[in-house]
Amino acid sequence: MIHSQIKAVADDNVTKAPTRRALAKQQTRAKVLAAARRLFSEQGYEGATIRDIAAEAGMSTGAVFANFTDKSDLFREIMLTDMVALAEAMAEGATHGNGCEDTLLKIFGAGYRFYQTQLPLARAAFSVGWSPEDGPALRNAPPVQTLLGLISEQLTRGEQNGELTAGSAEPLRTQMLFDAYLSNYDQAIFQGWSIEALEGRARDQIRILLAGARRK
Amino acid sequence: MTPPTDLSMAEDIAGGADQAPPVLSPKTRPAAPASGAAPSSRQTQKEATRNRVIDAARELFDTQGYQGTTIREIARHARVSVGSVFTTFASKGEILSQVMEDRLDGLYAELDRVVPNLRGSTSDRLRSIFAIHFSFEARRTRLFLAHIAAAYDWTLPPAARPMGRNPRLIGIIRECFAKGIADGDVCPSVEPQEAVDLLMAAYVWIYRMAALNGADAPEMTSAMDRQIGLIAGGLGPR
Repeated sequence: MIHSQIKAVADDNVTKAPTRRALAKQQTRAKVLAAARRLFSEQGYEGATIRDIAAEAGMSTGAVFANFTDKSDLFREIMLTDMVALAEAMAEGATHGNGCEDTLLKIFGAGYRFYQTQLPLARAAFSVGWSPEDGPALRNAPPVQTLLGLISEQLTRGEQNGELTAGSAEPLRTQMLFDAYLSNYDQAIFQGWSIEALEGRARDQIRILLAGARRK
Repeated sequence: MTPPTDLSMAEDIAGGADQAPPVLSPKTRPAAPASGAAPSSRQTQKEATRNRVIDAARELFDTQGYQGTTIREIARHARVSVGSVFTTFASKGEILSQVMEDRLDGLYAELDRVVPNLRGSTSDRLRSIFAIHFSFEARRTRLFLAHIAAAYDWTLPPAARPMGRNPRLIGIIRECFAKGIADGDVCPSVEPQEAVDLLMAAYVWIYRMAALNGADAPEMTSAMDRQIGLIAGGLGPR
């Protein structure tokens, strides 16, 4: 279905001569990315080869390499696109929160919902995130900083409205909240936990991590 | 046998210079049955193959990482056929699980001896327990990272979960909290499971420092100390 859509778009482009080349290139990239996304989800990062991805996209490996330097470049592009959308979903979730603890929970819940239907890709991302070669680029990506900023913002707000003591918005607490959020993906990926179960666990974790910062 | 120097901390904590030196990895191999019928030569052969595969795999995972090591290479280093590797182990993931299992037997034998002698507050005791882990694992950082990478490996059978579940460590932490509650150091309303989960998550994530920044045991230990401090800050009696 995706192929036929792309073909239809390609046919349209014939009339738009000036941008045809650029559009064709963009479409090739999109096709490769869609194929790569499918294969990474089905076979994991290590299991999917550039050759398989090219075959899945119906093009030569040369055409893939004309657009991406290597497999890690391809994977990074997919993850960065997703993470930008993830950050938006989490920021939106934050607007429904009431108070520091609840807002953090809404942020985490939005994240779990975002990945609910693409857990295999999340699993591949964790695998890559641990690799010394490709991990740093993924972990230090700008969208990750956005997510950390969103968490830190809630702590600062908690300090300002008197829920939390001054100094609660320290980087350590922000990082630990983010780590707790990430750690629950293991339950989602390996044990098939529901969103509700993940949220229940996240709520308890958030409570413990905020407990030392609450105004007595 | 001389005690490995990097567990001197564990020795200090236990104050146990007079105790037996720690038995660490590689695990003492199960010897042939001491009494009764002599083991069949087939059994000994199988045991020997297993041990050679484990030894070869430990070295290769530690130098080349998990993804970078193939079963074929393991077989070559162990000087056995690929076929005989597969008669003992179903997959690369299973070999790794066994390598880690053998190593950890040594660590936990040591911890079983040390932990009952730990003194101080709950967070002090937790810090000691994790410090022992970091000093133990930092000797073979790449091997431990291989262990983490394998957790997300597609070729693993669904039942295998090489990392993240560490029942022995979880048991030790639970006991530590139980003692804390008994001592009035930890609020009795604390749900231990959640605190344990948070500590385990912190423990595993700290290896990211080793994976991405080449952090050593003291650096990881001090990062863990801060995290334990933050968690414990929320667990005290109200």
